[in-house]
Amino acid sequence: MTVFHFFNCAILTFGPHAVYYSATPLSEYDTLGTSIKAAVVYLATALVKLICLATFLKVSESDSFDPYQEFLKALIGFIDVAGLYFALTQLTHRNISQNHKFQAVGLGWAFADSVLHRLAPLWVGARGLEFTWDYILQGLEANANLVLSISLAALGSLMWLRKNKPKTLIPIIYLSAGIVATMPSITSYLRRGLGWHFPKVVGFELFTSLVMAFISWQLFSVCQRPSV
Amino acid sequence: MAPRKPREREMLLESVIALIFIFVACVDLCDGATVVDVYRLIQYDMSGVPFGSRLASLNHHAASLHFSPHADLSRTVLLIPLRELNMSFVKEYIAESKPLGGLIFLLPRMFSFENKDGMGSNHQDESKELLKNALDELEQILIHANVPYPVYFAFEDDNIDAVLTDIKKNDVTGQPATATTGGYKFVVSAPEPKKVVSPPITNIQGWLAGLKTDDDAHQLPTIAIVASYDTFGAAPALSVGSDSNGSGIVALLEVARLFSLLYSNPKTRGQYNLLFGLTSGGPYNYNGTHKWLRSFDQRLRESIDYAICLDSIGSWENELWIHVSKPPENAFIKKIHEDFSRVAAELGFKVNLKHKKINISNPRTGGLVDGRHFVNEAAIVRSVKLIAESLARHIYGHQGKNIQIFADNSNLAVNPSYVQSWLDVLSQTPRVAPFLSKGDPFVMALKKELEDHTDEVNLHRDVLDGMFTFYDSTRAKLNIYQVASVTFDLLLLLVLGSYLIVLFSFLVITTRGLDDLISLFRRPPSRKVKTA
Repeated sequence: MTVFHFFNCAILTFGPHAVYYSATPLSEYDTLGTSIKAAVVYLATALVKLICLATFLKVSESDSFDPYQEFLKALIGFIDVAGLYFALTQLTHRNISQNHKFQAVGLGWAFADSVLHRLAPLWVGARGLEFTWDYILQGLEANANLVLSISLAALGSLMWLRKNKPKTLIPIIYLSAGIVATMPSITSYLRRGLGWHFPKVVGFELFTSLVMAFISWQLFSVCQRPSV
Repeated sequence: MAPRKPREREMLLESVIALIFIFVACVDLCDGATVVDVYRLIQYDMSGVPFGSRLASLNHHAASLHFSPHADLSRTVLLIPLRELNMSFVKEYIAESKPLGGLIFLLPRMFSFENKDGMGSNHQDESKELLKNALDELEQILIHANVPYPVYFAFEDDNIDAVLTDIKKNDVTGQPATATTGGYKFVVSAPEPKKVVSPPITNIQGWLAGLKTDDDAHQLPTIAIVASYDTFGAAPALSVGSDSNGSGIVALLEVARLFSLLYSNPKTRGQYNLLFGLTSGGPYNYNGTHKWLRSFDQRLRESIDYAICLDSIGSWENELWIHVSKPPENAFIKKIHEDFSRVAAELGFKVNLKHKKINISNPRTGGLVDGRHFVNEAAIVRSVKLIAESLARHIYGHQGKNIQIFADNSNLAVNPSYVQSWLDVLSQTPRVAPFLSKGDPFVMALKKELEDHTDEVNLHRDVLDGMFTFYDSTRAKLNIYQVASVTFDLLLLLVLGSYLIVLFSFLVITTRGLDDLISLFRRPPSRKVKTA
């Protein structure tokens, strides 16, 4: 990989975050502070997750899929949901509507996740001469992760901030949130349990993230409608 | 105080991230597609004239023999398997000094001394012989050429064979590996080769003293058994010289072992001194042997009855050659030939005499083909038996008698396991004299082995004469990278730009639609009632 390729992959990984911020009304409502705070909450949550993973998980010599360990990882993964709850409910937001609040939080969350998980591999890969498709696939995975993060933030906003949501939609909202929250465990199962290769996993992530985004958008739009 | 906490936490995290990046940047990762051991063509000057591969470091794209006839190869490494070698191509490119980025020859595994498969196989099939001849011819061309780019040898394995298949595929489809179309890049990081200053040569001398009677006042006669222990080849790190002269070393050690048994008992000690010499510098006008002989004192030199030099005795079948410098009509030569012929007849083969002026300006070379696969240890065993039996009859005056001192299944029999073990060791030890250090472990092992069988062992150290100058960097690691082309990255940049533009447009349309939807529901109720 060359430096040129490094920049290409960096654009693919981090460009959509900037495009999202500038294309949507987020840039007009001064939500950058909220995104930064959400990123800080994400880093703290990641630290807590790291401590829990180190405390409760045993390191398996074989790379086989262990259902109990994976279940434990999924439980620890719900710390993300707690962090997101904290970011959506506890951070002081100055005159920001719910529409823009969850988008800012989701955007900051996804950006911090990409920086933490993908910038270092990109940095290391830039030093080598070897070309692989992995970095491009990592960038695509970052896109899927951005979509999933905003979807989860939207669903979280519906669950915790909106009071008068229709009764018939509450199970669908919780089910969708559960699916999005367990997506890391699902992809881990696909990769290690079913032996899927990275391109296939990334394709699945992109498809699933678009589907969940559509569902979240529909749910959010329905809940926006004033109830009679 | 409260508003400052997030900022302090943020700065702390940024510092941690910065430290992580610094740490990652310092880690030297090996991320090549594959790493292959390569062995460089020898680089040397002869009386100031440069020969061999004159460069060591390599950083070029790779191509195969299927390159386009119009391709510019000045920044290309050719990866050529020996099995597909076209000798006229090599002659054309080397003799006419056509520009190349580098050459890498892929040798079959049977030429590798680390390959244990088929050890001891004496089956000389047709393709093996063809490959052997091709490698020998290639070696002669390369040794006598001045090659201004790096030349390396490597062995076939699954990884590099897969890379070669890919390269051939690219070349056949007319995509020369340049900086714009991707492909494979071959990188050898090596420093500039340096001269080997005063290359040391070490001769090892062993001595078995004969039985001296009290009434005898003059010096006992001496028989010298000599073998060169070094070899020469196109790639010094691959030149083990199993036959030339590993077989000679093995034979000398076994003869020394047998006679040490006889000479350890005064009743069976002969009235001849035995002098064993393992000399270096054989391929360079027998430089070491010459210096060793010159170090003899006058009395020792005069006491030598005759000397026998063991050379390349591991690959003959039914005929063994004796080279003598005196005419065959000489009475002494005739007697020796009769002795050897009689013992050979008893052992079932024939000894031929060749009268030839020993011209030390025509050095022998073992080469890369001289490996374990092509040496017959049974031939060495027969040679040892012939030499030992003939010497014994000469020493004990048993000419004409049908006595076998070293008969099979006796305690004085030639030990095939001993021969095989030493042959295996020698076949795994590259022994090109300028690259053997002073006090080399191999030389020390030979000295210790000779000490076990002889009364006293001396090392005679000297330096190789100045006619030859050698350069180091005889082996390296080749990193093979699969690289993408700049065109690919430009195309990727266009795709990414389009993607971001489409994403921007989609987001603007979506958010406007959402705003319109919100503002639609916030219209005055009167209008809503009016519409209804």
